[in-house]
Amino acid sequence: MASATPQPALQPQRAAELLGRLESNVHRVIVGKNEVVRLAAAGLVAGGHVLLQDIPGTGKTMLARVLATSVGGTFRRIQCTPDLLPSDITGSSVFNQKDLTFEFVPGPIFANVVLADEVNRATPRTQSALLEAMGEGQVTIEGVTRQLEKPFFVVATQNPTEFHGTYPLPESQLDRFILAAEMGPPTDEEAMEVLARREHGDPIGDLRAVLTLQEISDLQEAALRVVAAPAIRAYIVALLNAIRARPEVQLPASMRAGLYLQRAAQAWALFAGRDFVLPDDIKRLVEPVLAHRLGMRGRTKAREMLGEVLAQVPLPPLRQH
Amino acid sequence: MKLPRLLPASPVEESLSGRVFVYLGFGIGCLGVAIYGQDYVVPAVGLAIAALGHIVSYRGRRQKRSISGQALVASMVFASMAYFLADSVGAIFGGVMPQANFAILLVAVTSFDLKTRRNCYSSLWISLAILYLAAVYAWDYLFAVLAGVWFVCLAGFWAASHLRRLGAAFRLPAGAAAVALLAATGIGVLAFFFIPQPQAFPSGPLVVSLPTFSQFKGEIENPALPLVQIQGSTNTVDLRYRGRLGDAPVMYVRTGAPAYWRGLVFDTYSDGVWTSSRRGGTPFPPYVPARLLGPGPDHNLGTFVQTFRLLRTLPGVVNAAYPIESLYVPVGQLARDPYGTFHTPGVLRAGQTYSVVSYIPDLSAARLEQDPMPQFESGDVAWDLEYTALSTDARLLAQHAVEGHTATEYDIVTALTSWLQDNYRYSLEIGHVRPGVDAVDQFLFVDKKGYCEQFATAAALMLRSLGIPARLATGYSTGTYDPVLNQSVVRERDAHAWVEVFFPNDGWVPLDPSPGYAGLPATKFPDRWAASGIARLIPHLTIGAAPAILASAGFLGVIPPAIAIALVVVLAYAWLRRRLVRRRLRAADPPGSSDLLDLYDRLQKRSGRRRAPPETPLEYWGLMQDAPDEAVLEEVTQAVNEGAYAGRWPERARVRELAERLS
Repeated sequence: MASATPQPALQPQRAAELLGRLESNVHRVIVGKNEVVRLAAAGLVAGGHVLLQDIPGTGKTMLARVLATSVGGTFRRIQCTPDLLPSDITGSSVFNQKDLTFEFVPGPIFANVVLADEVNRATPRTQSALLEAMGEGQVTIEGVTRQLEKPFFVVATQNPTEFHGTYPLPESQLDRFILAAEMGPPTDEEAMEVLARREHGDPIGDLRAVLTLQEISDLQEAALRVVAAPAIRAYIVALLNAIRARPEVQLPASMRAGLYLQRAAQAWALFAGRDFVLPDDIKRLVEPVLAHRLGMRGRTKAREMLGEVLAQVPLPPLRQH
Repeated sequence: MKLPRLLPASPVEESLSGRVFVYLGFGIGCLGVAIYGQDYVVPAVGLAIAALGHIVSYRGRRQKRSISGQALVASMVFASMAYFLADSVGAIFGGVMPQANFAILLVAVTSFDLKTRRNCYSSLWISLAILYLAAVYAWDYLFAVLAGVWFVCLAGFWAASHLRRLGAAFRLPAGAAAVALLAATGIGVLAFFFIPQPQAFPSGPLVVSLPTFSQFKGEIENPALPLVQIQGSTNTVDLRYRGRLGDAPVMYVRTGAPAYWRGLVFDTYSDGVWTSSRRGGTPFPPYVPARLLGPGPDHNLGTFVQTFRLLRTLPGVVNAAYPIESLYVPVGQLARDPYGTFHTPGVLRAGQTYSVVSYIPDLSAARLEQDPMPQFESGDVAWDLEYTALSTDARLLAQHAVEGHTATEYDIVTALTSWLQDNYRYSLEIGHVRPGVDAVDQFLFVDKKGYCEQFATAAALMLRSLGIPARLATGYSTGTYDPVLNQSVVRERDAHAWVEVFFPNDGWVPLDPSPGYAGLPATKFPDRWAASGIARLIPHLTIGAAPAILASAGFLGVIPPAIAIALVVVLAYAWLRRRLVRRRLRAADPPGSSDLLDLYDRLQKRSGRRRAPPETPLEYWGLMQDAPDEAVLEEVTQAVNEGAYAGRWPERARVRELAERLS
């Protein structure tokens, strides 16, 4: 009966409080990296999947694990290798000799938080199985479609500098990640703090979940209720058009990119306790949401080009008439 | 107040297409100078420098200006100034239009510093000024085309900068534009067929000078000779021939004083044809100093220099103001005919220049009145008294014309001149001379209208019949004289014929009987009061010209005013409607919204730097931490964000309260 009555939406202040709790929990292990942590959390709240890119040893996997632990729910990790098969991810039917029946053994994809480590080392076939699951929220194994758990959140990591034995993700698959973030090198203070915390063991062992799965669902629901005003929509369209007009862009941002930008900005607004999107949210998220999915000509860096676009495209007028 | 190192970005400064339009506008000005001034070096150099400058200023559009860069620009400006002085005062480089060249160099130099919209506009306006400087030499269709292209550049810049800044979606409605274009073309075609073409220029009290745009090619009307033979080496003027002259410039004359540029002189008239009876010439070296020409007139007001620059091939006759003190023509040798005119061995080619120093004889009315009637022994200067071609009627007419004004030679001359000017009409549209009729009789008794040749011939022969020696002088009238540039532009239609009358004390005195010309075309120094030439730069702004043109179209003349009125009505309606719609839309806005945004505008104005269009309100507030009303700005920024992006506009009272907190 209780589930039949419509749940009152999460108040923005309450959402900000929950998210603050999540962030501070993550920061018990992850030193600094406030922006990356918030981006990853925003990806979760926006109901999308996040790609973390950087060289090994910068804490990508640690961030994904900590995030998974903090939200409760089930957590599975897929270590991608070239010999990983699609069925290793989705699971398969195994013959039960006692009952003389086939019994489905779910793969690691059936979890709330999935860490796909070094995703570019899996073969394209395996990658596409994973990415299809990410896109659809369901998998089809031996003709039977099975729903994945909700919430379902994939954190993939990849090392962009390694080339041997890797299968770089094609643009169409990169497009499925709502945002991509780079860890970046730590500052000296952060590095010393990391060393200090690990002096007597690994703090992740003490980490407990601070949010329930229900609260995550509520947060996702709240993000959907954040207002993106017509002016914000106009601004997003203007940005997409400006990017398309740039001569150095070979593969422009798709409509999905625009949708993701709006959704990510809605989630981002919740962190500030706002129930509406500001153009500042869009500006902050343009690079993480768009940079990884643009195909560029020549040596131009997508993030530099996006910076120029942001500096040029005017906001829609404040005055409507 | 601390400003950010980078200038705030704005789509105007970022607009590459805007800059292309600015550069193209400059290119139009340079093209004008190259076409009309035939001066190529500085325009080409200016274009190259400006291209470089545009690249440099576009790349550095976000940086603040550096002192060294400014010093460099300033030094280049001074270098241009030095060039200008050397070219204009010193005449070292031989530039045809030093002013235009100076302006070109200034635009080229300042293009290194094009950072703001205002700079770009200045560049465009100066380009227009350059085009106008070039156009002092010519007005023709090409100039209209150049001005039109410049205007397109201006419009393009405006669209590329302002419309983009306003975020306007600028799209030409293709269908409407096509319909308008087709309709205009159709109306034009219909008008061409149905509007009666005027057979002659409108007559009446208004004399309208309409420019004829046809370029004279020398073979227009039967039997194909122009009014005064300007082509070929002819030594006759035939009044039975008809021709038309165009607007194309023949030569530029840089001169201190506007004068008539005299060429061939004719003294024998017979059967409608003037010829020169005295042949032969004295040879002279190409440079004729004053000592070779003997003393000048007793009473002269000084001398002045003329430099002629030919734009087309002309007969080998040195057109100049007379009497000549000295001259230099870059040819093998010169010859002076018995009438004082210098000739060159061959034709004078386009592009050739020559210089002449002439006296300004004192030909005031007071002085000429002192001259006695010329007395001649029989046989003396008989060629200048020969008037047997004049009919008896015409002789009687001459007597009648000067009746009561025979005290002095000057009285007779002015009386006849005014009588001709008052009773005969100047017209280029006259019929052909019938066989068996003398051209002068046809003019005096049949047509009663004519142009300079008819007037001059009639005046010369009638003066002769009254015992005054007279002859026909041909050449060019002053042309379009610009006292600012000290330059005359002489065109085909300035070809002219007038009379020279012999005064015993003053020699041959020019006299112009054609209506619309000064009767006594004595050379004078021009008025030097400020801007005295400006009125002459707009030659067609004659009062009454527009009504006269309209009148010539008859009842169809109502079309232009009707179109104008319709346009005004449509524009007024569109404006009113737009206002109404906007007002209605604004009334539907939340009450606090426009108050709040007005307050936000006020705050921006007070802080000295407005929000750049790509800046969000929060970013703007972050940069304005030192503004005097920072606290109010913070609250207003929050309110603006809430209003514009959450739709929660504040109450009016709240806005008023915020406004009251402004210091």
